[in-house]
Amino acid sequence: MSGTAELAAVAPSATHRLRRPRLLVRAVRTPGGAAGAVLTLVLVVVGVLAPLLAPTDPFAVDGPPLQAPSAGYPLGTDALGRDLLSGVVYGARTSLLVAASVAVLVVVIGTAVGLLSGYLGGWVDDVLMRLTELFQVLPRFFLALVVIAFFGPGLDRLVLLLGLTSWPLLARVIRAEVFSLRHREFVEAARLQGASRTRILLREILPNALPPGIALLGLVVAQVILIEASLGFLGLGDPNVTSWGTLASEAQRFLRVAWWLSLFPGLAILLAVLGLNLLGDAVTDALSGRR
Amino acid sequence: MPARRLVVLVAAAVLLAGCASSDPEPRAGDDPTASSGPTRGGTLSVAIDSDPGQLNPAITTSGGTHTASELVYNGLVELTPDLEPVPELAESWEVLEDGALYRFDLRDGVTWHDGMPFTSADVKFTFEEMLLQLHSRTKASVGAALESITTPDADTVEFRFSRPYAPLLLQLDVTEAPILPKHLYEGTDVQKNPVNSKPIGTGPFTLESYTPDSELRFAANEDYFKPDLPYLDEVVMRIIPDKGNQVVALEAGEVDFLFGTPGPDLPRLKESGDVEFLTTQRNPGGSNCIMTVSFNLDKPIFQDVRVRRAVGSALDREQFVERVLFGQGKVAEAPISSGIGFAHVPGLAGLPTFDRAAAEMLLDEAGWQRDGDATRTALGVAGVPDGTPLAFGFTHFPTFAPYAQLLRAQLAEVGVDVTLTPLEPPVFADTVFTARDFDTNIISYCNGADPEIGVKRMYVTSNIGPVPFSNSSAYRNAEVDELFEQARTTVDEKARTATYRELQERLVEDLPYLWIVETEANRAFTTQCSGFSAAGHFAETASCSR
Amino acid sequence: MTRRYVLRRVLQLLPTTAVILLVGFLLIHLAPGDPVLALAGENGDAEYYAFVREKFGLDESLPRQLAVYAGNVLSGDLGTSYVQGRPVAQIIAERLPATLLLTGTALLLSTVVGVAVGVFTATRRRRWPDVTVTLATLAMYAAPVFLVGQLAILLLALRAGWFPVQGMTDARSSATGVARALDVGHHLVLPALALASQEVAAVARLARVGLLDELARDHIRTARAKGVGERSVVLRHALRRAMLPVVTVLGGRVGHLVAGAVVVEVVFGWPGLGRLLVTAMQARDAPIVLGVFLLVAVTVVMANLLTDLVYAWLDPRVRYG
Repeated sequence: MSGTAELAAVAPSATHRLRRPRLLVRAVRTPGGAAGAVLTLVLVVVGVLAPLLAPTDPFAVDGPPLQAPSAGYPLGTDALGRDLLSGVVYGARTSLLVAASVAVLVVVIGTAVGLLSGYLGGWVDDVLMRLTELFQVLPRFFLALVVIAFFGPGLDRLVLLLGLTSWPLLARVIRAEVFSLRHREFVEAARLQGASRTRILLREILPNALPPGIALLGLVVAQVILIEASLGFLGLGDPNVTSWGTLASEAQRFLRVAWWLSLFPGLAILLAVLGLNLLGDAVTDALSGRR
Repeated sequence: MPARRLVVLVAAAVLLAGCASSDPEPRAGDDPTASSGPTRGGTLSVAIDSDPGQLNPAITTSGGTHTASELVYNGLVELTPDLEPVPELAESWEVLEDGALYRFDLRDGVTWHDGMPFTSADVKFTFEEMLLQLHSRTKASVGAALESITTPDADTVEFRFSRPYAPLLLQLDVTEAPILPKHLYEGTDVQKNPVNSKPIGTGPFTLESYTPDSELRFAANEDYFKPDLPYLDEVVMRIIPDKGNQVVALEAGEVDFLFGTPGPDLPRLKESGDVEFLTTQRNPGGSNCIMTVSFNLDKPIFQDVRVRRAVGSALDREQFVERVLFGQGKVAEAPISSGIGFAHVPGLAGLPTFDRAAAEMLLDEAGWQRDGDATRTALGVAGVPDGTPLAFGFTHFPTFAPYAQLLRAQLAEVGVDVTLTPLEPPVFADTVFTARDFDTNIISYCNGADPEIGVKRMYVTSNIGPVPFSNSSAYRNAEVDELFEQARTTVDEKARTATYRELQERLVEDLPYLWIVETEANRAFTTQCSGFSAAGHFAETASCSR
Repeated sequence: MTRRYVLRRVLQLLPTTAVILLVGFLLIHLAPGDPVLALAGENGDAEYYAFVREKFGLDESLPRQLAVYAGNVLSGDLGTSYVQGRPVAQIIAERLPATLLLTGTALLLSTVVGVAVGVFTATRRRRWPDVTVTLATLAMYAAPVFLVGQLAILLLALRAGWFPVQGMTDARSSATGVARALDVGHHLVLPALALASQEVAAVARLARVGLLDELARDHIRTARAKGVGERSVVLRHALRRAMLPVVTVLGGRVGHLVAGAVVVEVVFGWPGLGRLLVTAMQARDAPIVLGVFLLVAVTVVMANLLTDLVYAWLDPRVRYG
């Protein structure tokens, strides 16, 4: 009996799973999606390969101070004589690190809440939805400000804070997906064949509920990068890593004499966030096209 | 409808133009070209860094409060640029019993801004209830030595010390000991008294209005006891937190005077010809300041003097002057600032100079091995397990981040790994002095006009403890303690110079601190105004001819 | 929309506010260091600390302390700033108008411009104007607000000299009345533009989607069939209903704008609550930091509530789970 159950359970979902790679390809076909994918890819590559791509250690005081962009220093140097290109490259690494870590937290928490809420319904749903609303309404930025002001700066607490407050949207989307998936034929089929609730949840529903959530991830992560940059700009960044926000905050003093110190980190943030937004939008569009 | 809109637009344009033009006409009877003295009248517009919070300079050494409030008050004396005391609230004085008793004869007819008479009771009250409790420099120096303050009559004040106290006259200006009115503070909590936001003093200006985070307006004190002063009608202090914006405001004519010029803008301002400068080591928060790195001597890593000397030799201090100060300052050549002429001793043999090779050698000798370009690790270092990396924390005010970053980069070259911990001043004070939870830090130790004021507190054993900006390294040397005591109780300057020389030779041998740079500020002001002084009453003798 | 729905939503305000209070309270007591120092500053003596301990009940049990704190806040007592020695509520009330002016103007500006852009791009779908304008607004959305501010200062204030570089009023002028209002207005332009730039894209997109949806409806087709001009169709018939999505996100936008206001106030030296918060954090003036945090959190919660109610009123089919 179990053999046929297995087969029956696998066959319908297999058709669902096949659609996903085509989804991504379809998203990337649009001009917005293509641009977004390229930019996001650049961010990832630069972040991962930072030690290889950066000309020097971003903290090393090597060059002449406040030098405009030139052959030796393509993006210029700061007041201490540190290479800005290296700073921007390592800044990408920090942003990537924060983005990825927060994304993991958001997916784990958001998915768990969305799955449980959507599938179990009833009072579990009520409670979890109250919780979600609460976290959604807490002002993330101000909370981060206050926490860092009292507990000191640091990447770890920033990631924790942002991860613990950015999941509500994802949870909502996943929950909505789960609602609509609950009564689909392949789920009914699995249930009739005696699969346990957990099994259904994990093998049938989760793989199909996840894509809209992942699509949202791009937008969520983009927001996280902006928040991290703003906190850095206010002087609350981690002083022991290079980040775009910290670079921009140091640039404020020299706005008049060294425009490159403000422009390039800001531009880097713009491109990263734009890329993630475009990609996220394209994937979401492709998804809703399916519907 | 369209016609009315046009009228409004024109009116708006006219009003805007009116707002953009410069300030009110000079007072009647003025002749700016007359050579018979400075122009009277007019408004001086000044840019300041931060909101003072409160305006009582006797209960704090905060630069913000002092900058904003010193125009309102006076001290018993005033200090000339050569650090000579001249009369202010005190008309004359006698130094008796070799310096154990100081008698001041107070000026007659001085009144507070609210009309009440100034008396010796105000002096006694200010010292006992405010300065000796809450003003950290005065408390640490005068407070430790003072026996009593007596007021034989309304015009006389006597300071009695248990042993002769040499530096008193240098600590009685408006920065170190401003005098506040007893009749407004008696019986109240001096820290929460609302008069702290609406100050009443005896000084050349009165506070007219205070808009938090925006501006302070001061009006000339018509009844000021110095005849003919002040020349200006009004002083407006605008809070412009960003130093770059302050320069923009100066160049646009929105403000006339800056307390400090950011380095990058200095050359441009100098070239413009519209700006004059006053270079000084005196600041409202303290004078003759040296940026000093402390080692927490309670930690085993720093107990070997070779390690401390190595760190000192790895630092290129000229680079600090160039890239952090932009030339506004110089390398510190001795533990005591060059601003205190009689005590400063240049050319001390033991002071570390920039020599990377020597630094690396010293570290190797001290047991810190280096593998290529990596961070050094311990091998046979007392109190440190083998293999421990030579890595330590560096605690600092966020505003001193450039120093921290440059130090980190320079020490990385010799295999030392530094982690930065920026802490806001209140937290810094708690973490460094109360909890002693730090490895190294950097502090702007302001020496003041006499070593007794701001130098002694860094080195004496009795000053290791929770008071902020005391002996940060926890340096303990009984001989040094004795030498400081000797210098304090000798009144003869030559003898004191010899004592301070011996002291500095010891300090440079033991190297409990690293003295990095002496900082100076360039006051910048429009050529239309002149007569500024570096100290608290910066605008007392100022005038503007427009 | 039933009365019960309104009541239910308003009542939800209570637990949310309670949690916000709790978060604020925990922050004081979990922060490293003696909470007395956080509340009373570094310069007090033993006597003063004892006084503060008693006043705030810091020696008592945690739940009791929470009750005292909550009671204080609910009766409007946000504590006293130890840096300024004045009640926090008074300090906040002084700075509030500047931030309200900035945020309100930015909200208005971004809504108007956003709707205009949305209409513009909706009626020129997929043609060049649509693409370039959409790209421009997306870039503004992606740009961190401090970059937009810094560029505005560099180009429009420093280079062109059209606008002042910082502050709310001219340093030298002591003008009053209309002249002062104009001065403030002149200083308001760049900060408000910088703050609004973030939001324009979001509003534009919503307006565009809403309009396109609306234009596809039957009653529009009818109007067109009747020969009503395209302009009138869009502006008169479709626009109002199309604005629904724009309204629904108002609550979220307020939160976003207030966060952006902090950065804008720092960039432009605008003397509002954002600047107050940053300076208070630097001075470790805990009562002010918490006071501003509470105010902002409660405002955002109420903004969300209001938009939910407005939306429910506009579209009675809506029910939230």
